[in-house]
Amino acid sequence: MKRRAILAFMLDRPGVLQKVSMLIRKKMYNVDTLTVCNSRKKGISRMTITLREDDEEKVQQILSQLEKFTEVVSVKELDTDHSYWREAAIIKVEADDEHLESFRKDYTFEILDHKSNEIHIIQIAGSTRRIDAFVKDLGEEHIIEIARTGVTALEK
Amino acid sequence: MTGKELLLRALADRGVQTIFGYTGGAIMPVFDQMDKLGHFKFIMSRHEQGAAFMAQGLSRASLSTANPQVGVCMATSGPGAMNLVTGIADAYMDSVPMVAVTGQVATGVIATDAFQESDVIGVMMPICKQTYMPLFVEEIEQTVHEAFYVATTGRGGPVVLDIPKDVQNVQVDKDYHFDTAAFRPALPGFYYHPTPAREPLQKAVELINRSERPVIFCGHGVISSNAGKLLQQFAEKVNIPVAFTLHGLSAMPLDHPLSLGMMGMHGTVEANRAIMEADLLISFGMRFDDRVTGKLSEYAQNADVIHVEIDPSEIGKNVQPTVAINADVYRTLHVLVSDPMLAGKPRRRWRQRIAEAREVMAADLRREIDKGVGDDGALLMKTIIDRLSKLTGGRDLIVSDVGQHQMMAARFYNYQTPNSWFASGGAGTMGCSLPMAIGVKLARPEERVWSINGDGGFQMNMQELGTIMEQGTDLKIMILNNGYLGMVRQWQTLFFDGRYAGTPMQSPDFGQVASAYGIPYRKVTELAEIEPAIQEAIDHPGAIMLEFVCDPSEVILPMIPAGGGFDDMIIKRPKAKKKKD
Ligand SMILES: Cc1ncc(C[n+]2csc(CCOP(=O)(O)OP(=O)(O)O)c2C)c(N)n1
Repeated sequence: MKRRAILAFMLDRPGVLQKVSMLIRKKMYNVDTLTVCNSRKKGISRMTITLREDDEEKVQQILSQLEKFTEVVSVKELDTDHSYWREAAIIKVEADDEHLESFRKDYTFEILDHKSNEIHIIQIAGSTRRIDAFVKDLGEEHIIEIARTGVTALEK
Repeated sequence: MTGKELLLRALADRGVQTIFGYTGGAIMPVFDQMDKLGHFKFIMSRHEQGAAFMAQGLSRASLSTANPQVGVCMATSGPGAMNLVTGIADAYMDSVPMVAVTGQVATGVIATDAFQESDVIGVMMPICKQTYMPLFVEEIEQTVHEAFYVATTGRGGPVVLDIPKDVQNVQVDKDYHFDTAAFRPALPGFYYHPTPAREPLQKAVELINRSERPVIFCGHGVISSNAGKLLQQFAEKVNIPVAFTLHGLSAMPLDHPLSLGMMGMHGTVEANRAIMEADLLISFGMRFDDRVTGKLSEYAQNADVIHVEIDPSEIGKNVQPTVAINADVYRTLHVLVSDPMLAGKPRRRWRQRIAEAREVMAADLRREIDKGVGDDGALLMKTIIDRLSKLTGGRDLIVSDVGQHQMMAARFYNYQTPNSWFASGGAGTMGCSLPMAIGVKLARPEERVWSINGDGGFQMNMQELGTIMEQGTDLKIMILNNGYLGMVRQWQTLFFDGRYAGTPMQSPDFGQVASAYGIPYRKVTELAEIEPAIQEAIDHPGAIMLEFVCDPSEVILPMIPAGGGFDDMIIKRPKAKKKKD
């Protein structure tokens, strides 16, 4: 299914996030990630929603349902060709240094903490696909815990 | 000034004259202030749900008058606010502007599960257009003005203000001044497009001119934008038949030669057949509800669709239009009617097809109505409604409850006056009729108002007889008593092999109920008594209750089974009937 990112700017009012998540539940949209942060303008938040949907009409519906909220200032879809989609992950791995360092040539990551010779906390940022690939290459069995931010996106 | 004074000042500034409600700890300060002021007419319901429906009735009925009003209801925190829920959800589904004010526990104890605390905002958010909780007294007036703006602008809907008790009492500087005239809502995301764009309009005109088998759809938006006359002009100009949604009824006279009557699940054969065979649907102010479309995959497959609608999120939600016009219905019709490019056509074959479809059930229905009683001699609802229609000339206001009698009132009353039909459509809330009728009568005191009920729904809010008694409301109350939850029984007859689980219903002696409230009462069991009883109600200058003993096995046909397509339309009552009813 096609991956989509929706970018919405909304007033920083209590309950707005609840409204959006309620809409997602009520209309049974299948959302992958939802991230919110401050925007450049005071009092306005920036939200990135990603989902998988092939049906253009359904995506259009989501946009117009979001637009209907009085607190939502603007909504649009960002496609993968014309925008950057990024996320960050913090991963607690159980692996010896050698194994970890073997990924240096393919991935950029930062070691935040060596808990012991075997346990490290690392940070990686990049496209969702890149983080997925890193996790796969590293091997699920080496991962103790992983925290991902969800996608945030910006138009090129 | 205090919060409660500011609240009431803002309500008065917004033209509110009547407040419906029920008191309690967290709203007492406002009630006390209201009493001191003496400015508002306060109507105390006997249940908060009643207050919400009364407020709705006022909004619904005054929409089309020179003085449109927004119904306001008030309740206390916790249980009081929760009792408003059904009435608010109902207003939301039917796009009825309304403002509900609830008292909340004091800010200091919010979120501590304080006495009579509930998360009103959390509960209301999914069932209303907007919610507010002013935490500072200076926000109150701005909030009220914004609430009225949101409730009435674009597609109407309910708005909830939840005001903590301490905020009601907080004192502000004496010279606190809110500039009502300069008020602008601070809602950067709230825009709507009342004026139709040129391009889709042109495309629409081309489609209309080209079509051979077009149908016009008249939805609630026609009534709420007061565009009934224009719609009729438009239909006459292009010579296209009009089918009505449940809420579109009464936008123009139902016996107009171009009228197809109601469409959808219990719509007329001619409306539904026309839609099935149409090459163009021109829909005004409606949302293609599933009771209208039936199975979407089979819906009007060969038709282009022109969708005129004020709420952009309704466009393409259920049916993808060929041409979308996101605008106010009145303004769109206004432009269309005066468009010199728009042409009428005789479309003789199309008219012929529709006339044939009209005859499919006509003879049966006429026979039934004339016979007037079922097999066991009890009265038929359709006959009662037919007689009511004849005796009132189709000119009275009809407020129906939910059930078979509702569909009968939709089908067999001959609506002549604009916005004269009121019912819970989207939510289908039993018990709405009696309280809603009180609001309707308040909005249009010069007109006669009938509250039509089933025995089931009537008992859901019959305590509002107390309100009628207290207010001396002149309401003509009809109970069509078939001893069953009739509409559900109909489904059981048709789809559950006649097993009547949970539908037989014992009722009290409605005569004694009426007399307890000092309301005159007539029980009607014979065909010959129908008209004299209705006439007596017409002549009586005050509330009166008529109970009609009805045939439980009467069904409202045609019927398209839920989730079915138009081809599944049932037009003949099934023979097989269980012996034991
Ligand atoms: C509050 C509520 N509860 C249940 C229903 C489901 N329901 C729809 S119609 C109906 C039967 C109505 O019976 P009655 O009021 O006697 O009217 P009739 O159909 O007999 O005319 C029921 C139970 C509903 N619409 N609303």
